[in-house]
Amino acid sequence: MTDCIFCKIIEGKLPAKKIYEDDQAVAFWDANPASPIHILIVPRVHIPTLNDIPDGDTLLCHMGEVAKRIAQDLGVAESGYRFFINVNKGGGQVVFHLHAHLISGNDLGTFFIKVAIIGATLWRKLLSILGADGTRRKN
Amino acid sequence: MGNHFSNCIFCKIVAGWHPARMVYEDDLVVAFWDAKPVAPVHILIVPREHIPTLNDIPVENVILSHIGQAAAIIAGELGVAQAGYRFFINVNQGGGQVVFHLHAHLVSRSNPGTDNAPDV
Repeated sequence: MTDCIFCKIIEGKLPAKKIYEDDQAVAFWDANPASPIHILIVPRVHIPTLNDIPDGDTLLCHMGEVAKRIAQDLGVAESGYRFFINVNKGGGQVVFHLHAHLISGNDLGTFFIKVAIIGATLWRKLLSILGADGTRRKN
Repeated sequence: MGNHFSNCIFCKIVAGWHPARMVYEDDLVVAFWDAKPVAPVHILIVPREHIPTLNDIPVENVILSHIGQAAAIIAGELGVAQAGYRFFINVNQGGGQVVFHLHAHLVSRSNPGTDNAPDV
């Protein structure tokens, strides 16, 4: 497909930050990431949507296998990730060359909240031990 | 089919020990409406075999392709295949997985039958 951006990336006619490739699929970083980790897994063959995969074709298995490997390589396989395919316009599909998204957020947001809560708790404990918060002084 | 885990809610549904609003089943997977839907169409596609996560699918196992094929069939039957839907699998806790029996979500913001509705 001459006007397909993913076909062009696969052929090397358009740049992309590739992370993985084999004889069936190519994976690269999403140019507009929705999350700290956002990879697109694209089959080399131009199939428009998930609805168009022929019966009995094991392409989706392979895409899942690639997702698993990339998640392992990036160290998020155990912490967690999301594997999704948008199908047609109402499903959010923008490029009509089948592709799966692999996204994973780092847990920095919750990490900082946890640190803040633990910090506040320890600070209150320290104050109470030192008798600086007024509760000890009554004893 | 498969090995059932007594404490797994999806194994119970697969075995018929727990009720669910079934929409599709074959020898490898069952699909039913999510009990807490996030959209007008929210189906869970669950392999009969208890595989905890996407990471645990053996390399030679073709279940994921079968799940995807079931999703396309179900989307077609519900009349949202052309309107559009999202097919996703949450993997492990950080990925939002709650039930540790592999499953795919089929979610569509379009109402069932949208594909067949006349254009306005």
